[in-house]
Amino acid sequence: MIQLKNLSKVFRTELIETHALRQIELQVNEGEFVALTGPSGSGKSTLLNVLGTLEHFDEGDYLLDGQSVRGLSDRQLSALRNEKIGFIFQGFNLIKDYSLLDNIELPLRYRGISASERKRRALEALELVGLAARKDYHPSQLSGGQQQRVAIARAIAGQPRILLADEPTGNLDSLMARQVMELLEQINRQGCTILMVTHDPDQARRASRQVQIVDGQLSDAAMYDPLAVKLA
Amino acid sequence: MEQILYYVKVSWVSIKRAPLPYALTVFILSLGLGVFFANATFYYQMNSDPLPHKSDKLFFPMMLLVPYECADCKPPSVLSYANVQKLKSSDIPSAEAAMYSSDGYLRLDSTQLPTPVNIRLTEPDFFRMLDVPLLHGAIWPDNKSRQDIVLRKAIALKIFGSTDVVGKQLLLDDRSFAVVAVLDDWQMLPRLYDANNGNHVDEVEDVYIPLETGYDLNYLSNTQSQTFDDADYRQLATDGRSKAMHQLQYWVQLDTPAQQQAYVQFMTNLAEDEKKAGRHPSPVNNQLPAMRDIVAYFGGESGDIKAFALVTLLFLVVCLFNASHLSLNRYLSNQYEFSLRRALGASRWQLQQQMLADVLLMTLFTISGALLIGFGGTKLMNYLWPINALFARWDLTLMLFLLAITLASSYLVTLYPALRASFGALNQQLKE
Repeated sequence: MIQLKNLSKVFRTELIETHALRQIELQVNEGEFVALTGPSGSGKSTLLNVLGTLEHFDEGDYLLDGQSVRGLSDRQLSALRNEKIGFIFQGFNLIKDYSLLDNIELPLRYRGISASERKRRALEALELVGLAARKDYHPSQLSGGQQQRVAIARAIAGQPRILLADEPTGNLDSLMARQVMELLEQINRQGCTILMVTHDPDQARRASRQVQIVDGQLSDAAMYDPLAVKLA
Repeated sequence: MEQILYYVKVSWVSIKRAPLPYALTVFILSLGLGVFFANATFYYQMNSDPLPHKSDKLFFPMMLLVPYECADCKPPSVLSYANVQKLKSSDIPSAEAAMYSSDGYLRLDSTQLPTPVNIRLTEPDFFRMLDVPLLHGAIWPDNKSRQDIVLRKAIALKIFGSTDVVGKQLLLDDRSFAVVAVLDDWQMLPRLYDANNGNHVDEVEDVYIPLETGYDLNYLSNTQSQTFDDADYRQLATDGRSKAMHQLQYWVQLDTPAQQQAYVQFMTNLAEDEKKAGRHPSPVNNQLPAMRDIVAYFGGESGDIKAFALVTLLFLVVCLFNASHLSLNRYLSNQYEFSLRRALGASRWQLQQQMLADVLLMTLFTISGALLIGFGGTKLMNYLWPINALFARWDLTLMLFLLAITLASSYLVTLYPALRASFGALNQQLKE
């Protein structure tokens, strides 16, 4: 489903070049739950951003469903993000002025889905994360864990095939973090491929596979291991 | 439609998030546009064409038929009665009218207090050539002298209290005149038929009487008159038709290029014949400007208005820069939301559509503010330059133009900030 071939990413300033990703070779199959681990500044988030097409890469190739994303136009990349990828951010990234329902409907709007269908899907997603009764609340009225569940609902409302989570429990206490992880596992069991950046070894162990990045390179232990694939 | 309303809602939410900077942006833009509107109103009206279908067919013949030698003189803009008669000998024009203006006092009878009026002394073709609308009655049929009078609607209402007064008598400078017609609402702006005297910014006259009657009753011109030899301009009734007393404006209607060419030739021939007869020593110098060009010909364009046009345009540019800067700050503070929308699948084009909703809302607020400031500005200009007061009016064309300017300004103010916001590094902004 996801294939990175010799992919590199360099951040350049006038003075220095930082090799954020070096010749990454990675394959992720459909239905996997992959934890991306590594020390701070190792390139985990950069890799996740490249996978989410939020960041361009310099060398190599990124194939999604067998199709290279290199050279896709802004419109094509937007459509790809909208239809195939769901994002969960560490900081939730909900729009505080909108109700939960409006927040969840956001990606669906850009897909041209009708209002009734949008509402149905958003409510369904809210139902899944246990917050349907609070659909008209605003993010500021919720706890951090609840906000992250709303962010997850937003990510899955569009029924994406890939969920990219950047330290989704980073801002939560342990109880809420556990709830969020259970939710992600539930979503993964329904067939959604998940790539999650985490610092927490316990959470990483709950994934079907761990990929470790050090200095922008995948460590040997993290190379693709078909036996570790957890089928949905 | 639902998506458009959504974009408007998003814009509104964004405004509510930081209302003061937005209000300041709108105010600055309104100020620049309002000042620009005030000046544009005068500029537009003063440069408008009151007879667009005809102004290229009406001409103002001028000839250097004066009894002195001058190699580089412009021909006088007024003609003598005798010269007008010579020009009238041509049957090329499809209409022609000589005219001048004077002052007088009007009243119903000797018991009423007299009302000062402006008088235009002219011929029937004046009304036909300038498409003057009649409410009641008919213009006198020929150029003969008669004590007939045509009233402007407002003066009929003032004197009689009604407009249907054809056949009634009144006193013009204590001489009895019969009302033969009342004009409908008519305000030729600018009043191009009087541009040679620089009076094109004035209102049209209150009353109209036959030209010959004006001569007979010794109505002296209240604008331009030139006399030569032993002529005395005060002896109009006795000498006006025969001596070198130049005070007549003369307009001809030449409908086709062929007619215009033929008339130019006619004027040349006439000037040469006059020269041969020893009636003028100067070189032939005939001019035939069209009504469309008459203000420019006589240099009657207002320098004040032109200078203000430039100043207000520069002021608008300064306001645009300031508003754009404020707008940029607002957009950059909202950049996170732009990036989030892009991350969730909005294309740049969809963000630009969102921006168009911002532009529409800003246009709505700005045009309201700009019209208010523009209205105040025109009042101020009326106060400072009362002569231009007639031109402080907005019509549909001008309003549409002002709306287009506002739309373009709002777009300019929004365009760059929105582009900046939608081209940022997504991941960076989402982290911030």
